[in-house]
Formats: sequence, C-alpha cells, structure tokens
Amino acid sequence: MKVLWFHLMPYPDLPDDFNTEHRSVWVDIDPGLFDPEVGHRAYHEYLDELEHADRCGFDGICVNEHHANAYGLMPSPNLMASVLARSTDDAAIVVMGDSLALYNPPIRVAEEIAMLDCLSGGRVIAGFPVGTPMDTCFAYGMNPLTLRERYHEAHDLIVRAWTSDEPFAFDGTYTRLRYVNPWPRPVQVPHPPIWIPGGGSVETWEWCADMDYVYSYLSYFGYKAGKGTMDGFWRRMADLGHEPNPFQAGFIQFVGVADSEVEARRIYRAPAEYFFNRCLHLYPGFADPPGYRSEATVRAGVEGMIKQAADRAADRSPGPAGRSRAGFHSTLTFDEMVEKGYVVIGSPTSVAEQLTEVAISLNVGNLMLLLQFGNMDRDLTMFNTELFADKVMPEIHGLFEDQWEHRWWPDPLPTVDRRRTGRPPGVR
Amino acid sequence: MSTVDGVRRREVSTGRGPVTVFEMGEGPVLGCLHGMAGFVEGSALLHDLATTHRVIAPCLPGFGHTPPDPTLRTVHDWVVALSEIADATGIVGAPWLASSTSAMLALELAVVRPEAFSSLVAVAPTGLWDPADPGVDLYAVPSRDQAALLVNDLDLLGAFAADPEGLDGDELIELGVGRYVCRRTAASLVWPLPDHGLADRLRRVTAPVTLVWGADDVVVPPGYAGRFADLLPAGVVLSPIAGAAHLAELDAPGAVSDIVRTCTGN
Repeated sequence: MKVLWFHLMPYPDLPDDFNTEHRSVWVDIDPGLFDPEVGHRAYHEYLDELEHADRCGFDGICVNEHHANAYGLMPSPNLMASVLARSTDDAAIVVMGDSLALYNPPIRVAEEIAMLDCLSGGRVIAGFPVGTPMDTCFAYGMNPLTLRERYHEAHDLIVRAWTSDEPFAFDGTYTRLRYVNPWPRPVQVPHPPIWIPGGGSVETWEWCADMDYVYSYLSYFGYKAGKGTMDGFWRRMADLGHEPNPFQAGFIQFVGVADSEVEARRIYRAPAEYFFNRCLHLYPGFADPPGYRSEATVRAGVEGMIKQAADRAADRSPGPAGRSRAGFHSTLTFDEMVEKGYVVIGSPTSVAEQLTEVAISLNVGNLMLLLQFGNMDRDLTMFNTELFADKVMPEIHGLFEDQWEHRWWPDPLPTVDRRRTGRPPGVR
Repeated sequence: MSTVDGVRRREVSTGRGPVTVFEMGEGPVLGCLHGMAGFVEGSALLHDLATTHRVIAPCLPGFGHTPPDPTLRTVHDWVVALSEIADATGIVGAPWLASSTSAMLALELAVVRPEAFSSLVAVAPTGLWDPADPGVDLYAVPSRDQAALLVNDLDLLGAFAADPEGLDGDELIELGVGRYVCRRTAASLVWPLPDHGLADRLRRVTAPVTLVWGADDVVVPPGYAGRFADLLPAGVVLSPIAGAAHLAELDAPGAVSDIVRTCTGN
C-alpha cells in the first residue's frame, strides 16, 4: 500500500457568514476576502506540513491545481512542487495535477514536469486531470465542447515530447508547432508515471485501461459514497480484460487520528465543518456547463465529485441561483460527516481498521490522505501527521504488497546520487 | 420525404453529413433558422408563415434532429457549414428569419457571402459584447432554470423544456441526451463570451437587416439592437415586442410573422 499525504491548501480565514453573504467558494468569490498576509503564512505552513510528511515517511506528497478557488490555493501546482523537489528527500512528488487543456502550448507541462523530475532526482508522478468545470470552463474560459479534445491532444503532445529521440513537428487541431524539442528531459524513462484524477466518467475509466494509467477518484465524499464509482471502474476494467491490480487505483480520504475517538471528535470537528460546510459552498450553476460531461457520461448517468457537489449545493439553494442569497444554510453535522464516511476519525487502531476496509472494499492501493483539511492549524496538522505515521501507517503499509506489483510508482535515481539544497550527493 | 400535418421532413446531404430540413407551405421561399432551443415542432410561427411562404427550416448540426458534427469548433467552421447547408436546402438568396445564435451565424455568413440572404429578420442575435450590459450568463445558471430564461411561456418550448407524456424509458433517455446535446451546441457558440469578432465584420453585411427583440430578453438585452444597427450598413431596429423573452419568435409568433411579411412584401 502506498500512503500519500495530499494538501489542498485551503484559505483558512473565510468568514463565519460566508455561506449567507457569498454565493460561491469558487469562480466569483469576492477577491476582497483574500488577505495576502494570511496567504503568506498559509503557504509557508502548508509547505512545512508537506515537508514534514516526507520526514515522517509518507510515500508521496501531493499538490493539485485550482483556479479562483478558496479551498485550493494552488493555481500552479508545479510552483509548489518545485519547492518540495528541493526541500524533501524521499517522498514521491505527486502533481495531481496539471490541467492539460489550460496550458498553451501544452509542452509547457512537458518542460516543467521534466524540470521537476530532474530537480527531485526522478521522484515525480505526473497527474493529468481534465480539470473541473469551475477551473477550466469558467475560471479559464475553455469551451466545454472542445475541452476534452484539447486535453487528449495535449496529452499526446506531452508524451511524445518526453519520448521522442529527435525534434519533431506537431500538427494538432489546437496546437501547431514546427519544432518540439523540450529541454530538459525527465530523469525517469520513458517518462514519469502518469496518473489520471477523475470524477467518474466512463471514458476516463476506459482511457486509463487503454493507456495503462492509474485512475484516481478524487471524491471529497468518502469511501462509502465512492464505492459505486470504484466498483464501476473495476467492472469496466474487467470487461476490458485488465487485472484488478489495486495499485492502478487511487482514492482520496479525509482522516483525523487522536488518542481516542472522543478526542478525535473534539479536535477535528471544527476543521471538518469548515471544509464541508464552507469550502464546498458552491454555486450550482458553475458545476455542469453543457458539454463538460461527455454524451456517454450523460447517458450513463454516472455521478462523480462535481455532480455530487452540485447536488449538495442545489439542495441548499433557495431557488434559481443568483436571484437571492437568502436561505443558504448548512445542515451537515460533523456526526453526519463521520457517519457517511466523508471523514475517517478515531484512535490509531480504529483508523487503521477503517482505512483497511477502505482499501480492500474499493480495491485501492494508493490512499491519498487529507490529514490537513479546512482551517486545521499547523500544530494539529503536525500532530495528525505524526500520530498517523507512527501508529496507523505501519498497520496498512503492507496491504497488497505481496500480491501485486506497483508498476506506476516513480523510479528515482539511487539515493547516493541525489542532491538537495546545498548538500553533496547522498548527504541528508 | 415524410409529411405530417402539412410539415414535410427530408434529409439533405451537405458533404459533412445529413441535415434534417422541415418544410411547409407554398410560395416564395423563406429560410428559417432556429434559436438556442433548436427546431420546435408545432411552432405557431412557422405554420403562420407557411400560409404565405414556402418555409424551409434546416436543423443545424447538434440541434435536435441533425446529429452533432465534431468538426465544428470555431465560428469559421460554422460559417462554412451554414454556407453548405444554405446551398443544399435552396435558401441562398431568399429572405431569412433567424434567431439568437443562428442569427449571429447568418450575419457571419453574409460577411463573406453577402448574397446569402436577400434580407434578414434577426431575432436577438448573439455576437456582440458590452461589459456594461452583459445579460445573464445563461450557461452559468443551473440547468433546470435555463429554459425559463429563453421564453416567458415554457409550454412553447415543447420537448426542449419538458418530457412529453407516453414515452418509455429509452425514449426519455434519448430525449434527455438530445436536449443536452442541443444545449451543448448552443453553449459552444457563446462560450466564454458571445463575441467572436463580429463587430469588426458587420460592415460587410450589405443586405437589409431588421432587428427584432423581445422586451423581456435577459440573455441578450434589447439594448444590443442599437449596437447592431450602428454597425450594420442597412440595419433597422424595431420596438421591442412586449411579453416576449429571448426567443421572441416563440413567445410572440404573430408579431414576428407580421414583421417578416412586412419585410418580404408578402
């Protein structure tokens, strides 16, 4: 089992009346709510936390990309990853990931991931999400009708750029380049592992199967709600003749560990409520622009993270959005979050048992854990991270290891050959 | 060709796939291009116009009866497609009535092919952008509320707004997917803004254009009529039609057909 530490980098100071006075955490959130001094502090603390995860022995540390979003302060995950490539030693650096259609020309991704792979000594995993509609279609103005075609063309260009032995011309529909020849080249051969964050689209499952990529279901609504989607993924994999190797799947899960369940409920209540009842305050009109979902997905009626978020937001909406801000209210209690599996909390023994159940029931060999969420402060995050690493991780690390080969994990330079800030090779 | 209630349906080939065309009536040809909701069966406007015209109403790709064309990505692609459809359906040189996104495409076609229509009644064309008067961001409104922004009377949208009774499960799925594809196609023509540079090109549209607006249009506010008229060599603005929203040809079929007859002299 690979255990990864995932940071969303949420803005920690949204006001208490955010849900009643503002219509959305995403796209048109009031820029006046952002205090750059808070941002300064948050970025440093969040990077501290990721670096601490590396020191605690987590297999990977994850960053991701969002735009105009108060729960995700990383418009450029590659910037954050570049800091981590210098300041960490062993953890895989999982860029989860770059929304390919938003990069023009997309060889920028090939170049920057190659830079990161060189900087880190070959520890990079390249996540290639289509991107949420809020990020791609609204914040970045991508036409939803052509978004996926752009994405796939960008993917083809990037992979070819990493693997071609000579400069080549690329005559795509959206990108035309006479000379493609990215320098630097990635350390990993033929290229860093590619993971695909998805929300439950049938085409994404099939594409991961065809390309032999890892499928990561990034739902915020826990393993109970996620089981249907993961079962669908594995059914489709079986239909296509692929073996159920759990290392070809990733899943995100909120986790809070304490000495007892009572204590866990006491200390993780506020940050969980901040995240689920404030950070997911999404205006439903931004969640489903026509054309974002493929025709096949519409037909199949598959619901993923975005649709669920839209439905949750719609449930709270007083009616046609934008006409009134009155009436938004949060009804989800912390107990409900725990009961529904959105947040796994408890003593180390209990959390280990629950995560074992998550991994086995979903058949997932890459657990991407949110041990910081909402407005959880640095001290509590460090406590959660250390207790998890000391008491939980040893209980779950061995899962699947003797049954399956992980073929989607980085292949770095030998430790003795790796450099870090101001140190000779191999010195820590 | 099939005929139901005086409406003749046929498929024409344009070299890029079949296009469904509805025809009705006899007399001088009138080309009719639907708005964002596609061709609405049983449209009172078209039946009214068919009493004096041979109405030819093609369904553009991705709007209901004509399948989507994945090669249509840009306005340039659409202009070429519309040019081919106009040729194949026999509406080139005739007077046209066009609504919303199709009115924008008709104007774009006339930029490069001024003889495309002899005159145009344009109902609330998209294509311009004024940040001081942007209108509602239709596709950022929850989908369940979008149809109500197109017309004042939802019943006039037929199956675009509500499932007809008596359909089985598979038919309902196909209907729902069709509606999604229609919305997807229309959205692609106005995403992220409806401005594709038409303002710089409208000076080349030499045929007379009559600009018609529903007074209740919140998608393309009536103030845009004057902006179009200022840029068109032969643009005429009529008073907004009371009680009509963006698809004024559905909300006020009598008023729009009277305007068309006045413009065509029929």
